[in-house]
Amino acid sequence: MSDDPTKVWPTGLTLPEAEEIHRHIIDGTRIFALVSLAAHLMAYMFTPWLK
Amino acid sequence: MSGMSQSGMRQKAVLFLLQAGPRFLPFADAATPDLPLGRLLRLSLFQVSVGMALVLLVGTLNRVMIVELGVSAALVGVMISLPLIFAPFRALIGFRSDTHNSALGWRRVPFIWRGTMIQFGGLALMPFSLLVLAGGGESADAPAWIGQLGAGFAFLLVGAGLHMTQTVGLALATDLAPVESQPKVVGLMYVMLLVGMVVSALLFGWLLADFSPLRLVQVIQGAAMATIALNVVALWKQEPRKPRYGAAVAAAPAKQPSFVEAWAHFAAGDRAIRRLIATGFGTMAFSMSDVLLEPYGGQILHMPVGTTTALTATLAIGGLFGFGLASRVLGRGADPFRMASYGALVGIPAYLALIASAPFDAPVLFGLGTAAVGFGAGLFGHGTLTATMNLAPKSQTGLALGAWGAVQASAAGLAVALGGIVYEAVAWFAAARGLDPATGYNAVYAIEIALLFAALLAMLPLLRRAPALAGAPPPTGAAVS
Repeated sequence: MSDDPTKVWPTGLTLPEAEEIHRHIIDGTRIFALVSLAAHLMAYMFTPWLK
Repeated sequence: MSGMSQSGMRQKAVLFLLQAGPRFLPFADAATPDLPLGRLLRLSLFQVSVGMALVLLVGTLNRVMIVELGVSAALVGVMISLPLIFAPFRALIGFRSDTHNSALGWRRVPFIWRGTMIQFGGLALMPFSLLVLAGGGESADAPAWIGQLGAGFAFLLVGAGLHMTQTVGLALATDLAPVESQPKVVGLMYVMLLVGMVVSALLFGWLLADFSPLRLVQVIQGAAMATIALNVVALWKQEPRKPRYGAAVAAAPAKQPSFVEAWAHFAAGDRAIRRLIATGFGTMAFSMSDVLLEPYGGQILHMPVGTTTALTATLAIGGLFGFGLASRVLGRGADPFRMASYGALVGIPAYLALIASAPFDAPVLFGLGTAAVGFGAGLFGHGTLTATMNLAPKSQTGLALGAWGAVQASAAGLAVALGGIVYEAVAWFAAARGLDPATGYNAVYAIEIALLFAALLAMLPLLRRAPALAGAPPPTGAAVS
């Protein structure tokens, strides 16, 4: 198995598998960025950095 | 170091990772023929997170927004009904998970994960947007639409997340459980939903007793973290990787059916539409008076507050008995639609008992009726979900479970809203005419009885074909015991 040329180092996943996981990470980052941006805006409006 | 030894080390590292890696990766080893109870219990944790989110939306935040934050009841009503918009999309989500093209060979995990993240995002945003919605702190100067938009967005996210997680989670449970143990799985899923709701209701109540904005942020964001934790534990190593899902699609991309085609195929098979109609009527019947039981006990039967709160517990305990009995009987290969119709048959006298308890001034009769309503709802819900799982075409499990969930969640939401409207309208009319104050409640109970008859009528043809339909294996010596 270790000499399967489709498996890429260092994870042992194939390229499409690795790309799929990476796509989920990118999607997740986008969702979290959007949500945290909105949450920070609301938090600032409620109390501007706990002044 | 030479290039040779470097590549040799790489080889070793890859080998090591391939051997040790799977232990640290969320993949199941293989599809096991039977699902051990421990793994099943773990899978059912996603229902706890769904129950927690439901209680937070419908119960805790409903009260907090009105009482502690002073938001108008109409605005709260709009916010709370927003997640319902996503209920009909459950069928589409289920379909998408059926046909998901994944190199990793996963169909359900990506959707449950995405649902979990969306629910987390909604909960993370929720407390701040509620505080701004209420115009607390220095947000009073800000335009009102910002708070409304933020809160609406947060409620939409939580709703979308929980519908996605639950639909695809149930589809995954169906994939994993062999037909004969599906009744057990359904029972467990319902019980865990109930457990999640009860435990988190108590916990939220206790944590928010000493209310402050900071405490609200802590509790809701804590719920967001709990969502991620519960769902990751639930999901870990559950779905076996089957690269053929992805491979087959890649090989023949033209064969991928559209949602409309898949739906047409699903609707043509095995009286699917009739089953959904029966589910809709029955669910409406059993949920229309959900929020009217406590006020009825207080206003009409003059029960003290502590006792009316116990009514909700009575309803839940009745439900637990229903799930338990249904799991036992259906586990022996009984027809799930027969079970669902027994549920409706229990519901009819139960609602009659609720109506009769006012003229006889019998709170005990009301309590018994409430327990029987819970019991009937338990049998009905278990029966329809088990039937959906048993009859789901192998390649359309997600669509079948999604359609059931869409009908069930939409019917329940619609029924609660309609119940409130009918009660208000009839109570107003009765007050104007000087009629009995129980009239408004009785009108709702009477509609529920009519809906139960409608559900029974819809299920009759399904019963006659029961032996062929059940899909469960014929009872064997071991199963009958």
